[in-house]
Amino acid sequence: MSTLDKAHTSSRPVPNPKRSLITRLHMGTGVVVGIIFAALVYWALKNSLLTYTDKVADPLSPHDNNIVLLGAMFAWSIGFMAGIGAFIGPWRWLIGKDLTDEEILYLAGDGQGTKRYFKYCTDHKVVGIQYLVGVMTLLGVGGTMAMMIRTNLARPGGHFITATVYNSLVGLHGITMIIAMIIVATGPFGNYVMPIMIGAYDMAFPRLNALSWWVLFTAIPVLCSAWFLGGIPTGWTAYAPLSIQAGPGMNAFIATIIIFAVSTAVAGANITTTVIAMRTKGMKWNRVPIFVIGSTISVALAIPAFPTFMVSMIMTALDRTYNTGFFDANMGGSGWLYSNLFWIMGHPEVYVILIPGVAALMEIVPVFVRKPLFSYNAAIMGFAGIAGLSILVWAHHMYMAGWAPSLNGPFMVTTEMISIPTGLLFLVLIGTMWRGKPWMKLPMLSVFAFIWDFMIGGITGIYLSDVPADSYLHGSMFVTAHFHFTLMGAALTGAIGGLAYWYPKMTGRMLHERAGYISFWMVQIGFNVLFFGMFMAGAEGQPRRVVDYAALFRNSNLISTIGAYSVGTGMIILLWAVIHSWTKGKIAPMNPWGAKTLEWTVPYPVPLTNFDELPVITSDPYGYGKGK
Amino acid sequence: MADHSVEELAPTPGDRATRFLKRADVKQTTLFFIFWTALFVVLGIYFYPKWMPTIMSVEMKSAEKIMIWFTVISAPIAGFVLAVATTAFMNRHRGDTPPPDGPAIRTNGPVVAVWTVTSLVFALVAIIWGLTEMNGQAVAAAKDAKSAITIEVRGSQWVWTFNYPAQGIETHELNLPIGVPVIFDVKSADVNHSFWPVQLGVKVDANAQVTTVIHTTPDKLGPIDVKCAELCGLYHAYMETTGEIQSASDFDAWVTAQGGHKA
Repeated sequence: MSTLDKAHTSSRPVPNPKRSLITRLHMGTGVVVGIIFAALVYWALKNSLLTYTDKVADPLSPHDNNIVLLGAMFAWSIGFMAGIGAFIGPWRWLIGKDLTDEEILYLAGDGQGTKRYFKYCTDHKVVGIQYLVGVMTLLGVGGTMAMMIRTNLARPGGHFITATVYNSLVGLHGITMIIAMIIVATGPFGNYVMPIMIGAYDMAFPRLNALSWWVLFTAIPVLCSAWFLGGIPTGWTAYAPLSIQAGPGMNAFIATIIIFAVSTAVAGANITTTVIAMRTKGMKWNRVPIFVIGSTISVALAIPAFPTFMVSMIMTALDRTYNTGFFDANMGGSGWLYSNLFWIMGHPEVYVILIPGVAALMEIVPVFVRKPLFSYNAAIMGFAGIAGLSILVWAHHMYMAGWAPSLNGPFMVTTEMISIPTGLLFLVLIGTMWRGKPWMKLPMLSVFAFIWDFMIGGITGIYLSDVPADSYLHGSMFVTAHFHFTLMGAALTGAIGGLAYWYPKMTGRMLHERAGYISFWMVQIGFNVLFFGMFMAGAEGQPRRVVDYAALFRNSNLISTIGAYSVGTGMIILLWAVIHSWTKGKIAPMNPWGAKTLEWTVPYPVPLTNFDELPVITSDPYGYGKGK
Repeated sequence: MADHSVEELAPTPGDRATRFLKRADVKQTTLFFIFWTALFVVLGIYFYPKWMPTIMSVEMKSAEKIMIWFTVISAPIAGFVLAVATTAFMNRHRGDTPPPDGPAIRTNGPVVAVWTVTSLVFALVAIIWGLTEMNGQAVAAAKDAKSAITIEVRGSQWVWTFNYPAQGIETHELNLPIGVPVIFDVKSADVNHSFWPVQLGVKVDANAQVTTVIHTTPDKLGPIDVKCAELCGLYHAYMETTGEIQSASDFDAWVTAQGGHKA
């Protein structure tokens, strides 16, 4: 029995936590303390001897400026966490008295209404909603940037934005969307739904759960500050030595990645521990819902992957502040070292994004086709195979780098092997549909869209994995179109399917159906038009990340921009549907889809500890179907 | 849909296959399979040659060939997946209540086995094909190395510079003689760039302090574009130039006009 559980069921008088500091802290105090601490550190570093150059000779060199800015950004993050009360628990523990039961109950947000969403709340359901709103915000920001990019590229010689702004947009769109996509399924659904799906009272480490969200939250203003510091010129890959050369905006990028890596490490440890240790009685490994398996494999893959990104950013920061020359060939360093570190994270990362989206759809298909999941084992082998191989393929991003050309062959072999476990994922989806009559609700539509989009993404990926073809296609718009088909067409479509599916459980209301359908078709048709145009531009020979292009690429780019406006409009309609339905949607029954997983056995609002008594599981949740 | 009169006899594998093929959903899936496979084959054969620029080297030819043929050989797999999905879509259930339960098929050993082996074979074909092409290019490059001209390519923000050491010239346009193997020694003066003579279908990054090398042999006369394929800062989009694949005599004339001499 967890402490929380004991507190909840104890017969003590109603707690009066008014005297505790915990009750007085919230997002607002976090912001205030964060800003004050950042200002203090900014002032202190500017006037200290910790900086690199001689102050008398050169009062504000770029190196100094980087030290001061990075210091202030990390100070903001730490200050915010202190101000929202993240360190009260560890501090109490240090001096030998842990939080009281009343305080633990208070932290869980018991009886605080909407206020708890702005507090250091440990309830996994609150954290799930926080992630959902955070993801939607990031997707909105990243999507707006995408629209600006496409607007500028609507015709050759477009001057909607300048080259500086354009290059920054390319990088910030990239990193914003990557962050959004990493958390898009495991954030909202992994936190809100998953503990209920496995029959747990909460996550294994509720306070770490709150920590992972609020640490991520502090990265958002840091990333946005890049705009006011001159933007970033490097794209989201932040290749050295361009990143060493870059202006002060680069510090915002570096700080964001480091903060984000802390958040994912904490979240990953928490999710894996929860699934390993807190499954309810009878939930053997072969009875765990497939979404839980997929999310766990995804975050388990992130745990070793992200630290290399963090390390590469720490080294970039040191190069930019103390001139350490890790990535500077002129000082004996190597830009290839950076690219390797980056892609050792970068390729597992795309599967960290993809797997939960597919897993969400695998949860959906059996419910809407009323058949068992076809070959649960193949699904697990598919996820595990992808996760395993994805660690061994990173240098396919570097075929054309000139670094170790003789490694191109081995990396081509590992990369093309990925089509085998990927094929299993398709087999599970279509095998489940076979001889079924899919119930055409929004979640199920996403499954069809996923199959089409991921098929295109997969086939184009086969050419790119092939060195002789990549020698033409690398660095072109073709690559951009390919990875949007996998990340957006597949993973985001999966997450939107998951949103439509779990929305009733998370908000107590049904998602506006008509708006959902309109949005679905606008997004999917627009998406295919958009990236058809981009495949065309790439095959014609247009490099990616260019602010302008030759007249030859006029038609393909116009097609892309037209598609982009359809996607943008469709996404706005979806956003409206989500916001509107949250308060005004039709009240959802407890189990609107007739599903068999545990989250549909609890009412809305879900009680603080999810279950009065933990359920006992006797079979997997896919016992649909007649006969056999 | 089960036909009870047939079930009374012990069905032979042949009977079962016949019955399977006569099922409405199987027929439907077969039709969709043919449709989708044909569509992907046509898309691959039609669009890529239409889109891609003039092919002016073996490397470019091999890139195009792979894009077309990999589409064609993956078409049946894509066609099968899409056919099953389309059949399910055509048999969809509308309304506000869930459809009745379907058959409780948990797995099907032979299907999973055949599928896995098929995708393994497909992956092996792609791998062997790619390795063979790579090997062919490497062998050709080694064979041609003696007769090749060397060009030192230097990328700097945001200009390409070509040094022809044997001819003693340095230019910003890339002219090459037809049929003569060429070795590009690529370097950067600052950040990473990527040297991309588009119609020649080769590419390599330019790095500071290290030289990267690519080979090709232009085999068609005409203009070429040279672009930068690695984001290199503010004017990355404009870091491009042109050149021409010329006959031997035209190339010599051009070299002379640039103030150089015959190699």
